[in-house]
Amino acid sequence: MAFWKSQSSKPAKSDQNASAEPTKGATAEANGLAAAATHTPLPISELRRAVDSAALGFKTTSELEPARGLIGQDRALKAIQFGANMASHDFNIFVLGPAASGKTTAVHQHLERKLKDLPTPPDWVYVNNFETPNRPRALKLPPGRARGLVKGMIGAIDELRNTLPAMFEGEDYQARRRAIDEEFRSGQEQAFESLNTKANSQNITILRTPTGFAMAPMHEGKIVKPEVFNTLPEAMRKQIEQRIEALQKELAEIIERMPKSDKQRRSKLSELNEEIASIAVHEAVDDLASAFSDQPDVLTYLDAVGRDLIRNVGLFLAPSGEENEIVKQPADTARDARFRRYMVNPMVSHNGDEPPIAPLVEELNPTYGNLIGRVEHIAQMGALVTDFLLIKPGALHKANGGYLMIDARKLLMSPFAWEALKRSIKAQEIRIEQPSEMAGLMATQSLDPEPIPFETKVVLLGDRELYYLLAAADPDFSRFFKVQADFDDSINRSTENDQAYARLIASIVMEHKLKPLDAPAVARVIEEGARLASDREKLSIEIGRIADLVREADYWAAQAGRSTTTRADVAQAIDEQIQRSDRLRDRSQETIERQIVLVDTTGAKVGQINGLAVLQLGDFSFGRPSRITARVRMGSGRVTDIEREANLGGALHTKGVMILWGFLAGRYALDVPLALAATLVFEQSYGGVDGDSASSTELYALLSALSEVPIKQSFAVTGSVNQWGEVQAIGGVNEKIEGFFDVCKARGLNGEQGVLIPRANVQHLMLREDVVEAVKAGKFAIHAVDTIDQGIEILTGIKAGTREDDGQFEDGSINRRVEEKLRSFAERGRAFARRSESGDGDSAAGSENGKTSS
Amino acid sequence: MIMHVAEAGEQRGRVVLHITSGHPSDVAMEAAIRIAQAFHSEIESLFVEDLQLYDMASYPFAREISYTGARSRVLSRDAIERDLRLAAQALRRRVEALALAANVPLRGARIVRDDPLQALAKACAEDGPWNVVALADVLAPGQGARLCELFASVSGYTGLMLVGPKARRTRGPVIAVIESPDHLQPMLRAAERMAGVTSGEVMLMLLSDSPSNGNWLDEQVRLALGDHAKVRLLHYQIDHGAPAALAEVIRRLQAGFLIGHFGGILVPAHGDLRDLVAALECPLFLMR
Repeated sequence: MAFWKSQSSKPAKSDQNASAEPTKGATAEANGLAAAATHTPLPISELRRAVDSAALGFKTTSELEPARGLIGQDRALKAIQFGANMASHDFNIFVLGPAASGKTTAVHQHLERKLKDLPTPPDWVYVNNFETPNRPRALKLPPGRARGLVKGMIGAIDELRNTLPAMFEGEDYQARRRAIDEEFRSGQEQAFESLNTKANSQNITILRTPTGFAMAPMHEGKIVKPEVFNTLPEAMRKQIEQRIEALQKELAEIIERMPKSDKQRRSKLSELNEEIASIAVHEAVDDLASAFSDQPDVLTYLDAVGRDLIRNVGLFLAPSGEENEIVKQPADTARDARFRRYMVNPMVSHNGDEPPIAPLVEELNPTYGNLIGRVEHIAQMGALVTDFLLIKPGALHKANGGYLMIDARKLLMSPFAWEALKRSIKAQEIRIEQPSEMAGLMATQSLDPEPIPFETKVVLLGDRELYYLLAAADPDFSRFFKVQADFDDSINRSTENDQAYARLIASIVMEHKLKPLDAPAVARVIEEGARLASDREKLSIEIGRIADLVREADYWAAQAGRSTTTRADVAQAIDEQIQRSDRLRDRSQETIERQIVLVDTTGAKVGQINGLAVLQLGDFSFGRPSRITARVRMGSGRVTDIEREANLGGALHTKGVMILWGFLAGRYALDVPLALAATLVFEQSYGGVDGDSASSTELYALLSALSEVPIKQSFAVTGSVNQWGEVQAIGGVNEKIEGFFDVCKARGLNGEQGVLIPRANVQHLMLREDVVEAVKAGKFAIHAVDTIDQGIEILTGIKAGTREDDGQFEDGSINRRVEEKLRSFAERGRAFARRSESGDGDSAAGSENGKTSS
Repeated sequence: MIMHVAEAGEQRGRVVLHITSGHPSDVAMEAAIRIAQAFHSEIESLFVEDLQLYDMASYPFAREISYTGARSRVLSRDAIERDLRLAAQALRRRVEALALAANVPLRGARIVRDDPLQALAKACAEDGPWNVVALADVLAPGQGARLCELFASVSGYTGLMLVGPKARRTRGPVIAVIESPDHLQPMLRAAERMAGVTSGEVMLMLLSDSPSNGNWLDEQVRLALGDHAKVRLLHYQIDHGAPAALAEVIRRLQAGFLIGHFGGILVPAHGDLRDLVAALECPLFLMR
């Protein structure tokens, strides 16, 4: 499709030299020109393909059976079916199609129907790994049994919270513990007391200091004052010192024995604790083990739980820090931090009460974490900590064993997500990693959970550009997304498809709970569908836009107090949609009406023609006429595209201009040099110009300039041209015609005005009703042309002319005059060259410069 | 203080936390705080630097064996002084923290260098008689005589709290041992106040030395209690066993506090507390 990308409304001084060549006003005959035959404009029937509402066969959509799914998308649906049935992990599906084409809904519905054929995927849970806590274990369970394990573990711990304290406070345990305590304590105490007695009997006392024990001589229960002691005979003092020294050694030995003795005591207590705890633990866990006796992995886990519970029985005996102070009841087991290690984290669980079914998940926000899952952290004392209960499942977990739908563009825009998805598909497992870990930036404690096998069919949805971009840029893409489901944006127009379209509208009405549409309203929607397809032989299946139109029409029907949506409501919805978006179009029209942008719609001028461009603003596009001018002179065979020279022209536009040179040279200068210098310009164009849809227009301007035959300014022209002078199809034909029509209408339609379009575009005509009405009234005309010759005859009223037997074009024809002009340029060029060689070049050049033709 | 304050419905008084070593019992300190809470009284710590330690340190041959037995060092007065000062500072902070946490006013942290009993006697005499003495050091089995000496030589206090080596809790039922109807009301009030801060049930253990006395005491107590429904009555006849057996009964009841009367059957004025204290898992609160 060719279109003019942008257009500034900045006023500029018009180039008087280029555009204001006076029209002589002479008739063809007076100038020796041959009048062209009359060209018939397109009949009304070719301008718009209306729908006969009576032929639709219903009064309102309430009589219709709504369409199930999409219409006219057999190829895409077959591809989806193939991809969904293909069990291999790398046959994932990429659904291509325009936005709002309803492909997401269609894929959803299609896959939903297939879910019942899939086996129900297993449940998955993460549990603590008692040996390596930073590597939580993943346990696979039959569908619907994860919740049982979760509840079972809570129940077992709940039970232990009651039974263990009771057992440890029970008389049996207390008596045995006291016996152990007494056994060791009395040994220590006896040793200590006997030493104390021995010391006292020797008049020595043992005192406690802040950091130990010390001894001193004693008399009547009090320490002997040192000054008194010093009065004793030396022998006695020595004797006392020796006794104290001996007692100190004994004391040191007794104290040194204490740790060993205490170790033995603790060991015996541990044995006792384990013995008592194992009774309660086995009692609590055995029930759960029986319930999961068919699951070896669960049994292994429960064994580990039992061992850990016995080892850590103190957890159940210490007071809970989370006791509810008001009701004096302990917090829920599941919320008690002491017992987190025994809880079970369900990643994927099915409700046992409902019939199990494979999942179909659409991830609307496919960030890395939402896709792969994440390990969350909580702040504790300023540090981020985590455990296996903070592992959160991602869409891959939720969709495991079923289908996962993701918007490809959102996926690619989420950092790390695309790579993570590919990695999961390739490895066929879901491995939760922190993105910061992948980037080597990990700075806090994290987990490395065991990966979970991944068996999901991934369905990416995106537009075609994205598909081809991925296919070109990422070699992995084609390896993992082997199925391409290409949604068409339109279907062929036929009576059957009109009926199907009506049922599609009925399904929209039903889905959105709208008022029914009567048959004329449906006809109008179908016509708009063709208009959206830019082709009267096609119907757009951009369901989103059609649904928007139907819903808006419903709104206007409600505003008018109607219970049925009518054609007028649909028309109003269309008008309102346009009105909400056409501010720039109005501005553009205004600049033309106020002659800030110069566009003639009457008269005739040499080297000047009205081109047509399309401006696309979001969903709304409109046509806009623009003056194109051409000037020619003798030169070295070059057509200068001023847009390109000013870096305003795109590659396609440049190509179009170069084709003109090929046409001119091939048709008019086979045996002489093409001694032409021509300049082409889109007047008052301040933005970029691209596309080749104006190449025929530019050629008409050039032919006019060369032949010095004026072009009727009541026409606007669109169409590309090839080197043979054949006019070729372009895009946006309806908008272009309507754009020129609006300008003419604003100035007053005079019956002379019209638009030339390529004949290949006639099939695309789906013009507005007011344009059709104007044509019907003879106030406007659409001409379809196959060749440049046909076009120039319509534009000038002069015969284009064919070559006769003498090799010359018909006398008085456009082509004859063009050829003569080019030959004259060639001869003058030769003469100029000769004079240059003889030394008169400067004056000759001066005189030639003055003969520039327009 | 307790009986008198409780009887008079007064809200003032002082708990003197008597500390003589660097290793007071956690349970004893917590119990002291609970008593202060229960009676809305102040607490004052009295850290006594035992003069005997200085005398001992003056001996040139004095050595200290560390608590682990792994180290032995020559003692000096300076070393003892420094160690005691550091221990006193640490204990003062601990008492401050406990008092702050329990919202108990801290009257002060006194440090004196004296004989422990004399220091206590002086402290109680200075600001009596509404004092409760809380012994922070565990009453070792061989210190029964010391306790008797305390009762005999220290006045200016109304109650004494002490803990034995097995003391492990202050929460649980508060058991008041009633030996005479005369003591019922003040001990019941004291028990109820203690129960208010330890979240325990109040139990009255009627202690007698014969079945007839037991029956009489039961009648008198029931008469005095009237419809005081919250109180549970227990009976123990001393000829069922020695105080250690009574202590075992109390242990099984998981008592948080035991309140008794000094100079009766439970704690005779000149008797040996050794067996009772050695077996108790809760603080013993003796009233004069």
